Amino acid sequence: MPVNVALGHLSNAFLIATLVIYSLSVFAFAGDFAFGRPRRAAAARGQQEARDRTAALATVGAAPVAAGSATAETSVSEPSEPPGDPGPPAAPGAGGPVAGRPADGAMPDLAVPAFRAIRAAGRWVTTAVLFSSAGVAAHLTAVITRGLAVHRAPWGNMYEFVTALTCIAALFFLFVLIRYQAWTLGVFVMGAVVVTLGLAETLIYTAPGDLVPALQSYWLDIHVTAMTLATGIFFVAAVLGFVYLWIDRYTRRVAAGRAAPGHGIIRRLPSTEQIDRLTYRTVVFGFPVWTFGVIAGAIWADQAWGRYWGWDPVETWAFITWVLYAAFLHARATAGWRGRRAHYVQLLGFTSLIFNILVVQVFIAGLHSYSGVAG
Amino acid sequence: MTDIRAPETDPFDPAAERDDPPRPGPGSPGAGTFGLTDWLKWAWRQLTSMRIALILLFLLALASVPGSILPQQGNDAPGVQQYYTSHPDLAPWLNRLGLFNVFAAPWFAAIYLLLFASLVGCVVPRTFRLAGSARTLPPRAPRNLSRLPRSAEYVTTLPPADAAQVAARVLSGHGFRLRRPAASEGADEASEGRQWVSAEKGYLREAGNLLFHLALLGVLVSVALGGLFGYKADRLLVQGQTFADTASALDEFHPGRFVTDANLARFTMTLDKFTATYISSGEQAGQPSSFDAKVTYTGSAGSPARTADLDVNRPVAVDGAKVYLIGHGYAPVFKVTDASGHVVYNQATPFVAGAAGNFLSEGVVKVPDAQPDQLGFTGVFVPTAVNVSGTLESVFPAADNPVVSLIAYAGNLGENSGASQSVYQMDTTGMKRLTTRPQVLTPGQSLKLPGGRGTITFTGYVPWVSLAITHDPGQLPALICGMAALGGLLLSFMIRRRRVFVRASAGQQGAGQQGAGQDGTTVQVGGLARTDASGGFEAEFAALAAELRSAHERAAPAAQPVQPQPEGE
Repeated sequence: MPVNVALGHLSNAFLIATLVIYSLSVFAFAGDFAFGRPRRAAAARGQQEARDRTAALATVGAAPVAAGSATAETSVSEPSEPPGDPGPPAAPGAGGPVAGRPADGAMPDLAVPAFRAIRAAGRWVTTAVLFSSAGVAAHLTAVITRGLAVHRAPWGNMYEFVTALTCIAALFFLFVLIRYQAWTLGVFVMGAVVVTLGLAETLIYTAPGDLVPALQSYWLDIHVTAMTLATGIFFVAAVLGFVYLWIDRYTRRVAAGRAAPGHGIIRRLPSTEQIDRLTYRTVVFGFPVWTFGVIAGAIWADQAWGRYWGWDPVETWAFITWVLYAAFLHARATAGWRGRRAHYVQLLGFTSLIFNILVVQVFIAGLHSYSGVAG
Repeated sequence: MTDIRAPETDPFDPAAERDDPPRPGPGSPGAGTFGLTDWLKWAWRQLTSMRIALILLFLLALASVPGSILPQQGNDAPGVQQYYTSHPDLAPWLNRLGLFNVFAAPWFAAIYLLLFASLVGCVVPRTFRLAGSARTLPPRAPRNLSRLPRSAEYVTTLPPADAAQVAARVLSGHGFRLRRPAASEGADEASEGRQWVSAEKGYLREAGNLLFHLALLGVLVSVALGGLFGYKADRLLVQGQTFADTASALDEFHPGRFVTDANLARFTMTLDKFTATYISSGEQAGQPSSFDAKVTYTGSAGSPARTADLDVNRPVAVDGAKVYLIGHGYAPVFKVTDASGHVVYNQATPFVAGAAGNFLSEGVVKVPDAQPDQLGFTGVFVPTAVNVSGTLESVFPAADNPVVSLIAYAGNLGENSGASQSVYQMDTTGMKRLTTRPQVLTPGQSLKLPGGRGTITFTGYVPWVSLAITHDPGQLPALICGMAALGGLLLSFMIRRRRVFVRASAGQQGAGQQGAGQDGTTVQVGGLARTDASGGFEAEFAALAAELRSAHERAAPAAQPVQPQPEGE
């Protein structure tokens, strides 16, 4: 079927709109740092509310409950550490061997409904989240219209692949933002998305077109979709990894007396533990998807080339990526490898992924030379 | 935070972590009496430690890198040849290190075999531990449930024993494994009006983890199976020709270690017609849009002839082997008469597309039977020829304006010298060049060779395809193991191992005792999860606690007046 040119143009227009809206969202996320309501106040208020609830419902082994009160909700508490006190819990019953979330920073109290929390975080955050959502909608529209224009899954060459993976990354981050109230990370993730998408648009734009016979298979829909999804998810994990390392470095510099405490931005970011956990969950989400993508690719390779695994350069690098992310998952469970080192491993994994896309598929001859980018 | 420092403080499985500090057994090397067995034990402990496993993982990733950067024998044998030509000093050394065949090199095998040994050393004991923990009951409920990561507390009018009974019913309805105080151990507690229930769920998490690792072993075994009992072969087939799948008829044959010619699937296959279509306009002009190879094949056991359309993503299965379309090209047909007027050559000659693109293909025509001298031609086939300032270029891959350009030689083809020659190359050392300039022929045109040596006629062209014939008995096992690994991964990532405890005590508990009623039972619910994977235990625990509470309320004699909760919710 011929390419639907009008839809192709529509898709391009939506992508430009996406770039503009994303940029505005990054601006708004940054504006929250610069002019937004100080996070500390909001956090403190949120905690006060939480404490009120706690007191009212008398859970943490403290206050009484009205006997037989049938209307009361069963309260569920989690011990919370006193803010800024990294040591063992002071009050008996207020903490446990297993500490709760540190109180400072974002993602403070998931009991507060996400949308109310976003509104409470101030006008800048609300604006940024709205822009991000609108941007994701425009981005999705661009990807879908591109698919309709070319009558196939819209990730058949590198430009389309980057467009789709950034869409997944933005969509996934939007979910993380709402689920974990992690808007302070928006400037980093959405910033990386804007830069990546902008570079793709300017450097490797490819007009909508048909695919070579080798790609005309429903396995394109399965294998490349899985790889796109996984890459989008790992993209978010990589940005989180960078933020983690940045905060970690700063924290160590402060500890060594080489930096002044109270960094304006870092102060308002989630703690390294929270970012670490978020990264871990992100990778845990992406790793099975990547594994599935590799398996689907092997099945396709068996259909197309007569072997399910042949150490083609792209296969080799997909394997390397898989091994490195597996190493990250194991590193987090190994003494001496947690934290910083584990994140280096994770970033190494993402580097290998990017190397595979940008270098191996373009410059190294192999069976996967479909990028549509002149090497 | 259990999820961050899970292993060491993991209440679920204190021995599961491989990296645990000194276990009972031999100490470290250097201690006075450290015998051979101690050394072996020490080495085994090192090998199965998570740190060594991590290092082996890194090594595996690192060792794969040269395999993707240097040309490899398996994928790109011409590339290896080329590397030898361009780096004559370096190439032999790289070869000695196995760098042109990384994935079959002993050092690569050493890494993954050590890794899998480490994996076995970790997984097998864990399997036994899992089997053990599946038999043992959850631990007794801790005394102070409010110290657990999740806890809730409320009061019910049920007596403690009944409250525990109701809680046990609710929890077991959710598939939890229960433990109640044994008659002996519960006696004293029960006498104080204290009852407890321990419940645990999510054993599949560890099972999934084990399944994942074992399935990886299975993948390795499947790959080995394919390598030993499978084979790969290539055959170039010109349109209209037939070949029988025997070792001698194959262009290349790579049998596994335990495969002989007798193991080949005995089928014959004819290429009836091959069509390639190309995009003719726009930015993608010249890009292929479809391939179709119509073949007729006959299986070994006298089965009837069948036809099939072979395409890039559509192999044909015959007699346990699979036949793939992996390439195509043009075979110009030449008719050669020698000086005596005999037709000494009349056949399609496959030419191979070179790097120039658009199927500008090169090939040779060898005519050993020509008299008085053997004849040879090197040629170029140009599917859509355009004369660009004196040189022929192909501007489109389809044969819209096919021409051949030939250089004729006469003399000794050197085929009797013993060294085997490629059919795509000609050794012209013993030959004399007959034409100074390449001679261009269109279909039907002839070239008269100087000195009355004969004539060559370019009668036309037919397409050819290259076929891969493979048989891999490890394929299905590898797929099953791969899916099992994925399933195990999902189980271990998505299932939480969690414990819920319920304590029911007579009277009002709690720190303050203020405003307590005398009768009634305080129910404490506590929970903890090994949360290093997905979150969400908060919600599950909250729902469970609410359900327990409402179950207790329903079971309680409806004598209690309902007291409104102080505001604040």
